[in-house]
Amino acid sequence: MSLDDALAAWAGTVRLDDETAAAIYQRIVATPAAPAAPAPAAPVVGVTGLDPRWWRDFTVDFAARMVSSTRATARAA
Amino acid sequence: MGRDAEFSRLYAAHRDAVHAYFVGRTGDRAAAADLMQEVFLRAWQRLPELTDRSPDGQRAWIFTVARNLSVDAYRHERARADTEAALGRLPVATPPPASTTVIAAERVAVVGEAIRRLPERQRVTLSMAAAGGMTSAEIATALGVPAGTVRYRLSEARRALAAALASYDDPASTEER
Repeated sequence: MSLDDALAAWAGTVRLDDETAAAIYQRIVATPAAPAAPAPAAPVVGVTGLDPRWWRDFTVDFAARMVSSTRATARAA
Repeated sequence: MGRDAEFSRLYAAHRDAVHAYFVGRTGDRAAAADLMQEVFLRAWQRLPELTDRSPDGQRAWIFTVARNLSVDAYRHERARADTEAALGRLPVATPPPASTTVIAAERVAVVGEAIRRLPERQRVTLSMAAAGGMTSAEIATALGVPAGTVRYRLSEARRALAAALASYDDPASTEER
């Protein structure tokens, strides 16, 4: 047996067998892929926000509805 | 090419080489399989980053991951060897295949033992060539060294193995020296 033959035989004792390779492959592809990097947020262009008067009117209106709603419930009880 | 198909191609192209690299580093077939799995798991998780590269670039990426992992594995192996030494046990050698004749099996064992005693760089290079089926150029890309260095390491490794076999065939020849 020549050196090349002995070396080839040694390689055969340490080489990855197909069965193990296939099992490893299946384990890997069953693993979820890493989540994609989040898309950068779209730049805010041309939005100046709601007029402060809108918020004031909304808040007043909302508070009034809450008060009237509570009174109605109390009378019913 | 779809994601699965791309990974399948990458895996088939490099699995033996990566495993052979870790055999050279660890001397352990099962540990090499575990480490190979870790390398390809990272490749799977970062596939888009890999697919944009050239074949040589993909090989370089894979082996960079492999080298980084083997540093950790080396530390782990040292800890394991220390434990075994403390327990007074020796690692179990891989038995030769049953199909070979006794003499051939002994020569294979001699070569295996000589490979184990090689300097690590020679052992890794030889393992990648013999077990991984890689050319000198491919090994050079993978290890990030010139192809001439790979050929020199292979030559030195083969010289050591030939000397080990000669010593096995004619023990008196080495005793006379």
